[in-house]
Amino acid sequence: MTSPAIAVDSLEKYFPPAFSGWRALLLPFARPTQRALAGVSFQVARGEAVALVGANGAGKSTLLRILATLISPTRGSAMLAGFDVDQQGAQARARLGYHTGGDEGFYSRLTSRQNLLFFAAMNNLTRSAALDRIEQIAVWMGFAAELDRPVRMLSTGMAHRLGLARALLHSPEILLLDEPTRSLDPLAAADFRRLLKEEIVRRRGATLLFASHTLSEVEELADRMVLLAGGKILADNSPARLRAAAGGATLEAAIAALTRVGAAPAVRP
Amino acid sequence: MKASSALGKIIAFFRRDFAIARGYRSALVLEVLEALFGVATFYYLSRFVDSPSLSAGLPGGASYFAFALVGFAFFDYLGVSLTAFEASIEEARQNRTLEALLVSQTPLPVILAGSAAYPFFTLALRTCVYLGWGALLFGFVPHAANWLGAAAILFCSMLAFAGLGILSASYNVLFKRGNPAKWLVLGISGLVGGMMYPVSVLPHGLRILARLIPVTYSLEGMRAALLAGAGWGKLWPSIAALLMFAALLIPCSFAVFAWALRRTRVTGTLTHI
Repeated sequence: MTSPAIAVDSLEKYFPPAFSGWRALLLPFARPTQRALAGVSFQVARGEAVALVGANGAGKSTLLRILATLISPTRGSAMLAGFDVDQQGAQARARLGYHTGGDEGFYSRLTSRQNLLFFAAMNNLTRSAALDRIEQIAVWMGFAAELDRPVRMLSTGMAHRLGLARALLHSPEILLLDEPTRSLDPLAAADFRRLLKEEIVRRRGATLLFASHTLSEVEELADRMVLLAGGKILADNSPARLRAAAGGATLEAAIAALTRVGAAPAVRP
Repeated sequence: MKASSALGKIIAFFRRDFAIARGYRSALVLEVLEALFGVATFYYLSRFVDSPSLSAGLPGGASYFAFALVGFAFFDYLGVSLTAFEASIEEARQNRTLEALLVSQTPLPVILAGSAAYPFFTLALRTCVYLGWGALLFGFVPHAANWLGAAAILFCSMLAFAGLGILSASYNVLFKRGNPAKWLVLGISGLVGGMMYPVSVLPHGLRILARLIPVTYSLEGMRAALLAGAGWGKLWPSIAALLMFAALLIPCSFAVFAWALRRTRVTGTLTHI
């Protein structure tokens, strides 16, 4: 049996309370007491597409940021392709692509190609390998004509594709996306979802874990969805089964029903 | 990480910053002109204060103009060291590239070193421009300079200053804004380090303080090498002092930086603006 692409076990994350004024100087030394994740456990099989769903503050982004090695868990473990994201961050990073759904995070005066070349170098690609890879990705993601335009002149949709292209440069096994279509118009979002589903998950066999508030997107892309509320998992199943189990006519109604039953107030550790 | 891989990434940072700087060519021209005004100011100040008795107290009997020019040009290395590392983090936070960099296969120390490569390159150019204006228009000719010695002093100074710079970056990682450590180091160094006047004119207490900061040894060594053409024997005390600062500051700064990084992974604030 192959090991899962992502294995999260009893994961907990607490942040220090927000301070303002001079007390903000104490923040790095403050005890983490604000719960963001409370014992989250789930697995994602290789080649599977799983959605993280939940209200704002449910813990979706925190979970993705822990998996992306940007923050440390307080307790529990998170393994990515068999590597502990907290203890073996470098190995985990070699296997993941991370993209948040904004068109930010590029050097606006550089061209798309210059930006991608730089981030390819940061991911250990040689210059010649990077040039080939950029051409290849740009063709199948439909922005080859934009490669030599400065990023500041790209449309939001194109900048978005560029962000996904950056996450895919080093051919990661696992793709972590935080609200991948947040700033896209409906047509561009549909185009983007098609690209994710057909090219990246089906054809290339990548594992996809994404957070989304768009339930049609979840139904279209995800084999399974993990419903979070107050840092806990309320449900983990396919969208169709969750809908059936909760007796909701729509996924939205099913999520509302599940959230009403399972929501719990945050408590101190 | 292999040294060749780290070097390749530092070159990629340099290419990035060079490509961005090419978009601001007028800034480069203005900087060259600004250097001219700075050098001219020192020249006319030195014409006002220079005297045979003053020169007798300066290294190699140099003019006050040469003394101040070298002090001003090389004090900049401390300033850039203190700001370059933290500026690289701050800039990446502001343009929101920090997350993309942190999830790449490049460790933060290499990101810091890479981001500082271009500022240090432009600093070296600026030093050449300062000395070049001085030589072209104002008679600054270091006839007897020990250039190899000056390069050694510069290298050791940069090592020692880099330790202070990484400590300063650690502060920025933890607290984001306002950096009293940088202000304190630059303020004290400017006052007692001998940039504009010899340390010997300071009162006893400040002279002792001057011996506790690396810029004093850097400027003394640089002036001895460039203005008095001092040999290795005379440069050695400055080199040894700078190496001692580097040996103390670099491991200490890396430890503090690693701790700061761990804390921000706990608090989740590394990418917060």
